[in-house]
Amino acid sequence: MASSRRLRRMAASQPGFLTLKPSSDPTDLVGGRRKRVNKNKKKNWNKFSDITDVEEFLEDVRHQERTTGGLLSEKSDDGLFFVDLGQADKAEQKAEPDEGKKRKGKSTRPLRIDLILQGDSCIPPPKDVLAYQKPNAKKLRRIAQKAEQLAAKGVVPRAQKKLLNRRLADRTVKKAVTEANNNPNRDYYDMWAQESKSPADPWYVLQTGKEQVKRPEKLNQKPSALPAVEVIAPGGSYNPDFLSHQALLQEAHEVEVKKKKQEDKLEKQLAVNREDKATAETALREEVEGLIEDEEDEETSPNKEDEEASGAAITVTEKKTERQRKKEKAEKRKEQQQLSVKRQTVQQQQLFQLRSIKAAIKQQEQQTKKRWSKRKEKQEAQKAQPRRLGKLKFQAPDLEVQLRDELAGSLRQLKPEGSILKDRFKSLQKRNLIEPRERAKFRRKLKVKYVEKRAFKEIT
Amino acid sequence: MGGLQKKKFERGAATNYITRNSARKKLQLSLPDFRRLCILKGVYPHEPKHKKKVNKGSTAPRTFYLLKDIRFLLHEPVVHKFREYKIFVRKLKRAYGKTEWSAVERLKENKPTYKLDHIVKERYPTFIDALRDIDDALCMCFLFSTFARTGKCHVQTIQLCRRLTVEWMNYVITSRALRKVFLSIKGIYYQAEVMGQLITWLVPYQFSHDHPTDVDYRVMATFTELYTTLLGFINFKLYHSLNLVYPPKMDIKAESELKEEFEEDYAMNSESYTEKLSALSGSLARVVSTEEEEEAKLDQFPAEGEDVEKMEAREKEQKQLEAQKKLFDGLKIFLNREVPRESLAFIIRCFGGQVSWDKSVSIGSTFDVTDETITHQIVDRPNFDKQYINRYYVQPQWVYDCVNAKILLPVEDYFLGVTLPPHLSPFVEEKEGDYVPPEKLRIMALQRGEKPAQEQEEEDDEEEEEDEEEEEGGDDEVDEEEKAEEKNLKKMEEQKSQGKSLQVKVTPGKVRAENPARLEQEEKAEEKRLAIMMMKKKEKYLYDKIMFGKKRKVREANKLAAKRKAHDDAEKTKKKKARK
Repeated sequence: MASSRRLRRMAASQPGFLTLKPSSDPTDLVGGRRKRVNKNKKKNWNKFSDITDVEEFLEDVRHQERTTGGLLSEKSDDGLFFVDLGQADKAEQKAEPDEGKKRKGKSTRPLRIDLILQGDSCIPPPKDVLAYQKPNAKKLRRIAQKAEQLAAKGVVPRAQKKLLNRRLADRTVKKAVTEANNNPNRDYYDMWAQESKSPADPWYVLQTGKEQVKRPEKLNQKPSALPAVEVIAPGGSYNPDFLSHQALLQEAHEVEVKKKKQEDKLEKQLAVNREDKATAETALREEVEGLIEDEEDEETSPNKEDEEASGAAITVTEKKTERQRKKEKAEKRKEQQQLSVKRQTVQQQQLFQLRSIKAAIKQQEQQTKKRWSKRKEKQEAQKAQPRRLGKLKFQAPDLEVQLRDELAGSLRQLKPEGSILKDRFKSLQKRNLIEPRERAKFRRKLKVKYVEKRAFKEIT
Repeated sequence: MGGLQKKKFERGAATNYITRNSARKKLQLSLPDFRRLCILKGVYPHEPKHKKKVNKGSTAPRTFYLLKDIRFLLHEPVVHKFREYKIFVRKLKRAYGKTEWSAVERLKENKPTYKLDHIVKERYPTFIDALRDIDDALCMCFLFSTFARTGKCHVQTIQLCRRLTVEWMNYVITSRALRKVFLSIKGIYYQAEVMGQLITWLVPYQFSHDHPTDVDYRVMATFTELYTTLLGFINFKLYHSLNLVYPPKMDIKAESELKEEFEEDYAMNSESYTEKLSALSGSLARVVSTEEEEEAKLDQFPAEGEDVEKMEAREKEQKQLEAQKKLFDGLKIFLNREVPRESLAFIIRCFGGQVSWDKSVSIGSTFDVTDETITHQIVDRPNFDKQYINRYYVQPQWVYDCVNAKILLPVEDYFLGVTLPPHLSPFVEEKEGDYVPPEKLRIMALQRGEKPAQEQEEEDDEEEEEDEEEEEGGDDEVDEEEKAEEKNLKKMEEQKSQGKSLQVKVTPGKVRAENPARLEQEEKAEEKRLAIMMMKKKEKYLYDKIMFGKKRKVREANKLAAKRKAHDDAEKTKKKKARK
């Protein structure tokens, strides 16, 4: 405490020191009672030593340095004072701006905001120490030297390698973004230029980013032997030859007849039988069913049952006697003997029948061969047939036919028959490329609820 | 007898197949996506031989796939794209629902897309494989390119299809590959021969669409997606095989010929070039500007025996083909506005003709109606007022029939207002002994270079009949001569026996004119007869059967011919009556 006071006194008593703050009064320094505290503890030094006066002094020094660029006491008088010459100066200033105020004043004077933002400290900024000396300079230099050496050898550092690798990956990703498949201005190139069948085909990898998997052999077979475009029969010409047109009409007619036959058959099966229809008689009988007792029937039927029952009772089997049994056994043995003898004779006879047996075998073989060839033929024919690929069977489209009077005389009047889109679609189905389907039916998911509205109710 | 009991359906056929639904689950795709994937990759359903064995004892009809195929599909990179797309749709829906338009915009910009190039390469490892399968692609592209741009499918797809078909037609024109055309009631069938492959395709008539409801458009669009990719690559390769610039460019000469007066009326500037290309009237630019190279001649190899005949036949065929390729060379044909312009322009240009139309019909016309050098004008109306003397006015069928007959047919049958002869299908090839319609006979006669008169037709028939008779009667004549000699001898003998002194006389011998051709024929016939005699019983039986079949065919053909004659006669009498 005493030391601080001493310091303050010392500062104040320094020759030529001017304080800016008027409050720092020398008389203020001595006052108040001293508090007694133990000074052998560092904690108490901090707590109870009063350093405000030193701080104030230092603050004041800093303030002076900041605002005037140095201690006021060290400045010359010229720097602090000027001679006041009255108001002549101001009048001049006011008279002058009348002409060029609007132009000149704005252009020369800096904006106020700039003035505010301008630093007003007169202390020059401290020098950057790091501009003159670097921390760990030695270490860094050594590292740089080492890197140079490695570069001279051609060794790429690990971090750089990583970066390079990543950049490659980025490039492939960018390539994957392609234009739409149906872009009308898309480019094509020579796809079949180089023939390479190895699975790691670089072209394929570039296109897909994946290696190619071997395609199963079976996929290269066509599912049907039919040609892609089946040309219409010569009768389908727009101006057909008479006979071929007739042939086509005949064909179409046969198809129709077949259809009609099937329809008729179905109708026949569905028709109500004439005998099943109710007549007045049957209706009456139905009405009185159970009301009239058939006495005769009742009388006769029990009798019949009795007779049957008695008949069944009579035919109780009697026990066989010993003799009968023996006789039966003997007969059985004899029969078997006869059979075996017969078999033997037949076998012996077969020796003489060798030729006919051979012929029979030959015939059989021929038959199997014939059947085999027939089966082969059928299989070949099946190849051109549509297969059953789903729930629905393939239904051949209607034949396109124009009748004699529908035929146009000239190309101008021609009315095209059928739709090619449908023809192509059916052709795809016929060649087993797609399975025949029906258009999915619209099915309402949520139930519809009918509510009578009040307005509606009022009207009705 | 130990061992575990074998469980059912864990081996054999049951393990080779997989149902559609389980396949779908395995791939984690929705049904439409699965269907799309199968179409793109060429994986088709398969009908098992024994349904019961595969379907765990049930015979219910289901769709089966081969398990190996589905396993193969698992590796397809496009599957990931499908999943991405699914997610994209979900996000987009959500953004729409929340009316977050910036998010919608951003999502749409980053819409996931995929390419099918690798699939095409995988399915068609070589170019020829791809070319063999192009029929379907062409049909589909031609069909889609005629669709109205109303939203039945993507407008872009339609544009792409149109571009590809125009490229294809331009290629066919430049390579002169077209062989056959058939106007049917359905559409127009074309057949071209490209690199030795016969390619058939079907083109719908213009404006003939009603959209059928029982066709799955999604499936068709998927097929088209694949086929546009395929056709594009094929076009590229084909163009390069002819040294043409690939996105096709017009020849500078051809371009300058096209009139540019009313261009703005037809197309915007951005589209006018493609429209001009699709007019098919100009030739294409080449990479190496060599005009029409000399056709390479067929190599001659020394050959013997049957090979010589084959070679000759081949040479003849080749010559015919060359002639056909230059069918319309030097002709200047003008199309009236009522005829199908694109089809006719395509065909005429395919065979080397020059073609034009009224400039108000379409872009790309090269000369006017008033041009004096026009040789033919295609007209399809009953009468025509202003006619030039130095040109033929014919109906469009003439062009098509000429192409099929491989010669320029007489124009008289196709004049304005004349009832046309029937348009025969060039795709029917008659075998020996089949019935051939008289019109075709006539064309065949014309091809052989016989007189092109109408009366010839009947004569032809008669001649043929006579020919037949001659063949039969040939042997008889010889017999008759022999018989006459024998008679003479007999007479002489009789006279001798009667004791009369013979009038011994030496008559000068006649020199028998020996016809070498006939002799040869006889020899051949004799050889054949002997060969038949030498046949084994079995072979003989077969031979008889074949011959019987042939005869029956001939009989049927004769019957048809008679029917036709009767029909014609009836028509004639009708006409006569009408005239009276």
